[in-house]
Amino acid sequence: MLTNEDGETTSHLMGMFYRTLRIVDNGIKPLYVFDGAPPKLKSGELAKRFQRKAEATEGLEEAKETGTAEDVEKFSRRTVRVTREHNAECQRLLKLMGIPFIIAPTEAEAQCAVLARAGKVYAAASEDMDTLCFDSPVLLRHLTFSEQRKEPIQEIFVDKVLEGLNMDRKQFVDLCILLGCDYLDPVPKVGPSTALKLIREHKTLENFVEYAQKTGKFAIPEDWPYKDARELFFNPDVRPADHEDCEFKWDAPDVDGLVQFLVTEKGFSEDRVRAGAARLQKQLKSGQQARLEGFFKPVPKTEEQVKSLKRKNEAKVEEKKKKVKEEKKEKKQAKGKPRGGA
Amino acid sequence: MPEASSRNSINAKYKTRLAIPPHFQQTTPAKITKLSRTPRSLAAFCFQEISFSYTLLEARLEQADLLKKVVDAIKDLVQDCNFDCNDSGVALQAMDNSHVALVSMMLKAESFSPYRCDRNVALGVNLTSLTKVLRAAQNEDILTLKAEDAPDVLNLVFESSASDRLSEYDLKLMDIDQEHLGIPDTEYAATISMPSTEFKRICMDLMALSESVSIEASKDGVKFTCAGDIGNGAVTLRSHSNVDKPDLDVDIELTEPVSLTFSLKYLVNFCKAAGLSKSVKLCLSNEVPLLVEYALAGSSYLRFYLAPKIGDEE
Repeated sequence: MLTNEDGETTSHLMGMFYRTLRIVDNGIKPLYVFDGAPPKLKSGELAKRFQRKAEATEGLEEAKETGTAEDVEKFSRRTVRVTREHNAECQRLLKLMGIPFIIAPTEAEAQCAVLARAGKVYAAASEDMDTLCFDSPVLLRHLTFSEQRKEPIQEIFVDKVLEGLNMDRKQFVDLCILLGCDYLDPVPKVGPSTALKLIREHKTLENFVEYAQKTGKFAIPEDWPYKDARELFFNPDVRPADHEDCEFKWDAPDVDGLVQFLVTEKGFSEDRVRAGAARLQKQLKSGQQARLEGFFKPVPKTEEQVKSLKRKNEAKVEEKKKKVKEEKKEKKQAKGKPRGGA
Repeated sequence: MPEASSRNSINAKYKTRLAIPPHFQQTTPAKITKLSRTPRSLAAFCFQEISFSYTLLEARLEQADLLKKVVDAIKDLVQDCNFDCNDSGVALQAMDNSHVALVSMMLKAESFSPYRCDRNVALGVNLTSLTKVLRAAQNEDILTLKAEDAPDVLNLVFESSASDRLSEYDLKLMDIDQEHLGIPDTEYAATISMPSTEFKRICMDLMALSESVSIEASKDGVKFTCAGDIGNGAVTLRSHSNVDKPDLDVDIELTEPVSLTFSLKYLVNFCKAAGLSKSVKLCLSNEVPLLVEYALAGSSYLRFYLAPKIGDEE
């Protein structure tokens, strides 16, 4: 973990500072949304996370005594907790950098979705797939992965997801709940393919629960308030996009403030901080690149095109299935043969 | 896979049975050429057992040069795109990956001699691959594009006018699910025509200083300015006509002053098309994308659209 001379953690500031710079360098104007109070339903999940942290802390103690350096590293990563101070420091840093942020009433993802849908921002960037359930039109994943991982940024369009699954949003949310979300325990023996099949068959969670209780095939957890979870996805507690808190402005960085905070207080290198501030200043001046979709609208496909596309896609899927089957067959045959023959 | 291969084998069978060389347009008797033009339904009736595929598209360019240059000009912006062919010509529309620039090409039927396309067909092509094939053509070669009904490949034939050399290539096609943007007809506030080499020079010169250029058109002329780390630069052009060399004319039509900022990286990219046309037309209106048009022979064109940079300065 990164610390300064006094032993205070600085990794969160380091990460925030350099990742934000990288985002800005690429011509993106970020807006940060912080989590507010978690919804009540999340207490179960949070308790579990807490439990895991506690276990990791124990593991860390043990590893420190007996384990290798690698073990210590592994467990210490798992004990990372974002404290209120960390959040406050990040917010102070953003303010100095001139980057706007908002603290969501509850879930940050829900707030992101509202802002994206209102066109205040282009997309919501999160690793959390829940963002799709909150109906963010575009979800970006892996936006802040380190460059060394060479992961491309995923851009997921919710309307294409629904079109591809051939579902409406209600069914999609039901599917996601069944797949396991932060609010409910997963149903045992329901994985991705089973969940999809079940929703296709029963359409809604109501019908599925009824079916599960009748047949006893699936053991639904005793406390499984799926209706509340669904309600959270459809009507989350958020600031509406026209609220005054949602007026965002990207400002020039406060260079002296940044030096005072990061260099004097946190022991960062002054040259780097000043260089970073210069990068922020430069991007602010050069203006933001607009996208063509803002001016030209896509022409909807004709019915004929949609049909032929569908047919082609189906043919592709079919072909893939066949290939997999054949491969399996071949593998089986190869296995069946005695070794060392040819 | 099985579908495609079976079709190919039928083709092969059909070809051997009738013994038609691949470039039958020039060499086979008129009767068979006519047959190749029969509508599909009739053809299917004639050859009931075999699924008969015939040449749906046939487009002959006097100079391979044109297509080579067009593809060269756009291949760095767009990787894969559809060539949409119909009876009026070959069209292409594609955005770059970041959806900032758009290429719109139209090669009208008049640019070809002859041109025939019996039904609308989209040919999905990888432009890098197409470049590789086109490299095999010499600038003065006669180039013929051919495609069958429901094609797997695009057939390209290069004939040397000087010698009897004839080369033929098949380029595999792909399915591209592409969004098509509707571009509204715009009355631009400023239209500037200038030599394409002049525009290229301005872009290259300013690129050395900065990432973006602001274009200001007023009654005094059009001014390209940029500001960078090492300093600033500006180029101003005024309307003028040159009787001896009309190619060097600069013409500015203005209904309203405009000022817009654009990324030079894209403009420099567009300038790769400078070899296609002596002059280039820039069309600007405040807060809409810039249109850069290279007019080609026979009212064909290559157009680029570029979304502006939007500043925050209050």
